[in-house]
Amino acid sequence: MPPSLSAWMAKSIPENDFSGDIPWTPLKRPVSETVFALMTSAGISMKTDSPFDMERERREPLWGDPTYRKIPKTAVETEIDVNHLHVNTDYVKQDMNVILPLKRFIEFEADGTVGALAPTAYSYYGYQMDPRVLLNETMPRVAADMRAEGVEAVLLTPT
Amino acid sequence: MGLVARFLEENGLSTVVLTMVPEFNREIGIPRIAAIEYPFGRVVGEVNDDAGQRDVLRAALSILETAETPGEVVHLPFTWHEAPAETKWHPPEISPVIKLYLAEIKKAGAEARK
Repeated sequence: MPPSLSAWMAKSIPENDFSGDIPWTPLKRPVSETVFALMTSAGISMKTDSPFDMERERREPLWGDPTYRKIPKTAVETEIDVNHLHVNTDYVKQDMNVILPLKRFIEFEADGTVGALAPTAYSYYGYQMDPRVLLNETMPRVAADMRAEGVEAVLLTPT
Repeated sequence: MGLVARFLEENGLSTVVLTMVPEFNREIGIPRIAAIEYPFGRVVGEVNDDAGQRDVLRAALSILETAETPGEVVHLPFTWHEAPAETKWHPPEISPVIKLYLAEIKKAGAEARK
């Protein structure tokens, strides 16, 4: 990160450790028996879906698209679209596993590292200055989708 | 991303966040963090480095079994193969919000260099 940007961001991060309650769901069984879903904030969508909205953010710099997209676990690079105005998206277009490691988890499923990878992965857009719509409208749908596929644990990967 | 992890934990799902900015934990309280000094846009590893990606992911997953305290940050022992100054992660155009706050960012940088 450029030093100036890092210094600016540091201004909004407190110096002390977080002191409030942190929600906690312990793993119910070993990783090797657990059903996983992957979720990333990388702005990935299937080409068959509508892309994340970059034009509105260009007009309204403090707005970020609060919706989500489902990504089937079998998706490959030629089937996805990536939109993000805050990072370079070239790498994920070459190898989506750098941020949404579906192939690695399919390998983990086969070699028993994890119990299973759920059929669906999830992507949202990792720039939410006001996260209310994301948390109050989008994520309840994602959680319901996950429950319907028996998901027990989630690996989250930011942009 | 931390707020999303908190939401999922409240809804009965265990989470681990693999991130290059664990500092956000101090702001919002993230349940489990695997911290890694990898660039934005490639948090799992380098393009086509399947073995390296697997190592990072296995280390992140192990935290689900070992973390005992909410808010635990585990720093993963991986080093990116390029020096920070040589690592490209920037978007091709300056993002809209950075454009909006550019003067403030430059000022914070100048103050930090004093």
